[in-house]
Amino acid sequence: MKNFKLHGVVLLLVIIAELIGIHKFQLGVGVVVLLPMLYALIFGIFLAPKFLKVVNKVDMQDAGSLLGITLMLLMARYGTLVGPTLPKIISASPALILQEFGNLGTIFLGVPLAMYFGLKRETIGAAHSIAREPNVALIGERYGLDSAEGRGVMGVYISGTVFGTIFFGLMASMAAAYLPFHPYALAMASGVGSASMMTAAVGSLSAMYPQMSDQLVAFGAASNMLSGLDGLYMAIWVALPLTERMYKHIYKFKYGAYPTGEDAAK
Amino acid sequence: MKTYNMLETLIILVIVGIMSLIGNTIGSKNGFVEAIPGLLILIAIALVGIAMGKYLPGGIPGVAYVVTLGCILTYPGVPGADFINACMKKVGFLALCTPILAYAGVSIGKDLDAFAHSGWRIVVLSCVIFVGTYLGSAVIAQVILKYLGQI
Repeated sequence: MKNFKLHGVVLLLVIIAELIGIHKFQLGVGVVVLLPMLYALIFGIFLAPKFLKVVNKVDMQDAGSLLGITLMLLMARYGTLVGPTLPKIISASPALILQEFGNLGTIFLGVPLAMYFGLKRETIGAAHSIAREPNVALIGERYGLDSAEGRGVMGVYISGTVFGTIFFGLMASMAAAYLPFHPYALAMASGVGSASMMTAAVGSLSAMYPQMSDQLVAFGAASNMLSGLDGLYMAIWVALPLTERMYKHIYKFKYGAYPTGEDAAK
Repeated sequence: MKTYNMLETLIILVIVGIMSLIGNTIGSKNGFVEAIPGLLILIAIALVGIAMGKYLPGGIPGVAYVVTLGCILTYPGVPGADFINACMKKVGFLALCTPILAYAGVSIGKDLDAFAHSGWRIVVLSCVIFVGTYLGSAVIAQVILKYLGQI
């Protein structure tokens, strides 16, 4: 907290990153968006003793332990984004509400793959959700972002921030072209709790079905609002416990015994 | 993990608030002074939410209280909601992300080897996770819409 050098360094990073500003460019069929937070992250990494040697071990540890609290300010803003949309969310159709449980699909695909890759506690952070801001805040509060779980959630968060938009745009067009889904179902699925990912997915669908465009955008936006509201509660009470259980059983299957010590749930 | 008492928490929130304020002024068209009320409200919501998570029984994480408080205070019709919404318009969501990711970047320097070790795996895993949530939701929506006769 009293590490003034750290705060000074971070302030400089913020100023530089914001001065560079947002940049967008076309890549193939999608748009890649570079945000100030991404520059701040990358420049921050390059200050490490391995590269520029601006920060030392204590600075890095202090930064890690502060992260959980800094995220709360963002979460307060997040709540104020969701609040005004609540009346619309409450009037959503049953299809919109029930498809929210589909977001748990990440666990059934993600946990086995993560553990096949040899990840251990990273799995919990990485595979319990698509790792948007509330999930990062939750993992940060429960395990600390400088833990293995924290590395997992940060890894997926960063991947999503860098290429999530383009990936969702592509995935929506592929699903519409090759899978037997109605465009309405795909539009509802697009709302995963990230406005940019949803916009990219719905944008692709609208381009393919221009006559349905208004309806697709409405479903996408409503579903995204819903995910923004239920994502955190679902993570706390359903997704994280489910991920822990699957982790435990796959761990036993793979390593022959239930996880203990560092690998066990905390 | 190091824990902070409420006074330390407040000081950290204020430090990050000031940084967000500066970033918000540079990166958006919002003025420095007009964003101050919004940031003060955010600091208050965060502080109360963290305290509730810490002291209320039930083991519900502070983050859940923080988000819920933010929702309630801005719900249309709640006294003061219009004022808070107007204040919030001056505080960009992205401007709040920048200082956090700067701290995250500095902190990641410590675990660079661990990140490098799991790097490509996490990227592949991320793609599979995105596919999982998308197809999971699409299957359910398709079944329900069909059942309701809406498609």
